[in-house]
Amino acid sequence: MRRFLKKYWFELLLIAPMTLYLLGFTILPIFQSILMSFQDDTGKFAALHQYQVLFAKPQFMKSIGNTFFVTLVSLCYQLALALLIALALKKAFHGRGIVRAIVLMPMGIPTMVSGVMALYIFGTSGYFNEILYRLHLISTPIPWTTGGMRSLWVIIFADTWKVLPTLVLLLLAGLDAIPDTIYEAAKIDGASATRTFFSITLPLLKPSVTMSVLFRAVDAFRIFELPQILVGTAVPFVATYSYEEYAAGNLQLSAASSTILLVMILLFTLVYMKVIDRGEGFNHA
Amino acid sequence: MHNKVHLSRVLFYCGIVLLCFCMVAPLYLLIKVSFSAPQEVNTAHPTLLLHHPTVRHWQQVLTSGNLFKPFWKSLVVATSTMLLAVFLVAPASYVISRASRHLKELYVMVLFFTKMFPVVGIALPISVVFLKWGLLDTNIGLILAHLIGQIPFMAWILVSTFSSIPRDLEEAASLDGCSKMRTLWSVVLPVAAQGIAVSGLYVWLNSWNEFTYALYLSLTTKTLPLQVYYYVQRGGTFQMAAYATILTIPVILVTFVMQKYLRSDYLSGAVKG
Repeated sequence: MRRFLKKYWFELLLIAPMTLYLLGFTILPIFQSILMSFQDDTGKFAALHQYQVLFAKPQFMKSIGNTFFVTLVSLCYQLALALLIALALKKAFHGRGIVRAIVLMPMGIPTMVSGVMALYIFGTSGYFNEILYRLHLISTPIPWTTGGMRSLWVIIFADTWKVLPTLVLLLLAGLDAIPDTIYEAAKIDGASATRTFFSITLPLLKPSVTMSVLFRAVDAFRIFELPQILVGTAVPFVATYSYEEYAAGNLQLSAASSTILLVMILLFTLVYMKVIDRGEGFNHA
Repeated sequence: MHNKVHLSRVLFYCGIVLLCFCMVAPLYLLIKVSFSAPQEVNTAHPTLLLHHPTVRHWQQVLTSGNLFKPFWKSLVVATSTMLLAVFLVAPASYVISRASRHLKELYVMVLFFTKMFPVVGIALPISVVFLKWGLLDTNIGLILAHLIGQIPFMAWILVSTFSSIPRDLEEAASLDGCSKMRTLWSVVLPVAAQGIAVSGLYVWLNSWNEFTYALYLSLTTKTLPLQVYYYVQRGGTFQMAAYATILTIPVILVTFVMQKYLRSDYLSGAVKG
């Protein structure tokens, strides 16, 4: 032990502050949160009491459904769209540089700001309704953000605008990593464009797709800011519900719902790694 | 055949134009609203173009005295978070990048794992503890909280940066009699400077935009995003637009500087052997 310390004291000194910080400010709080969810209001052990209360609340059950729906739909939708855009940006065409810059632009825009923009667009007297009205598609304005399926789609669209650039960038890097010689070989062998896409591009893109899916899914499950701005309590998500309970002073209920959220995220990651990815994409990324 | 090729080309460009429109239109609307006369916006049929430009809302926001405090708080918190993050993460990332493959993968996996924790789950006990410590509404408290979200990502980028620096450099330096400290300071750091700068700017941006921890840890003081949120809740259409624009301007400046250096393989680099 002493020899180890003597040999590596410098390395330990460098790595200690960050490690201690992670332990104290990330790992410890998450366990405190889990612990709190098993306590009653006075801090005594209460087993599953908080969870029973939680699952009896229709608002919370709705928040679980909403979170799953938005995560799964936005994942598929955003990945497909980002792949399409990445493939288009790989092509040589006039004005590609400008299009690339425009597509990547929202990456830096604060989520708060994208939420404000979505409010202007999808508000009841907003610009989306106005365009529909001018195209004679509707005669009375549609309330987009007051709840129901419509509001979920509004959230998905607003989220897509914000995260598309990151996804495009990740997939572009993946596409760039596929050597041109493979495509040339496929061309010489007479493979069609569709065949090339499904037999070469997609399989070789798998590591990038895995990275993107995991990054996106975690963020989508935790979605907080956009619903908080756009729909408030009208459409609950697990994270915003947890905040509602916190704001109402029910700390243990808030802890319980954020623990449920943690379990949802872990389950998804596990299922994805085991069933769809089988450990290929992540380890060899 | 020729016609078919022609048609697909037209469709391709239509798609590109539609895409660009969707990306740019919201930004246009934001700025448009902040310069619009109320009768253009507060009606059932808002105008798409700017007919009666006015700087009234901007004057109001700039002279109301509510701008400077949140702006300053956001600036101080974002800059301190960035500096602290560099001091915490850069040395540790260097050590991780030089560790054995096994150890390195383990640490990177732990970092990814902490990224999966829901922010609301961390913010709750943190706010309880900070209440005890009297850190609510303080800059220090917010800086400490912002670091939580930023460390894993920065470590990720920096581990991959340091990994790409060949060890031969350090070995040569130590053969020449440099101490470990000296090697790190005058050989490794200069080569890694660009990666550190980019990741630092990235942290600055995220802290500038951060909303969740700020919401949990602020009672009376506000950061800029909280100020925007305040007007969202009160339905202050025009203040919201002006404040959101103010929030965005530094971001666009920083992104512009960063874009030249931002490499997408930073994300995947750390996982490579």
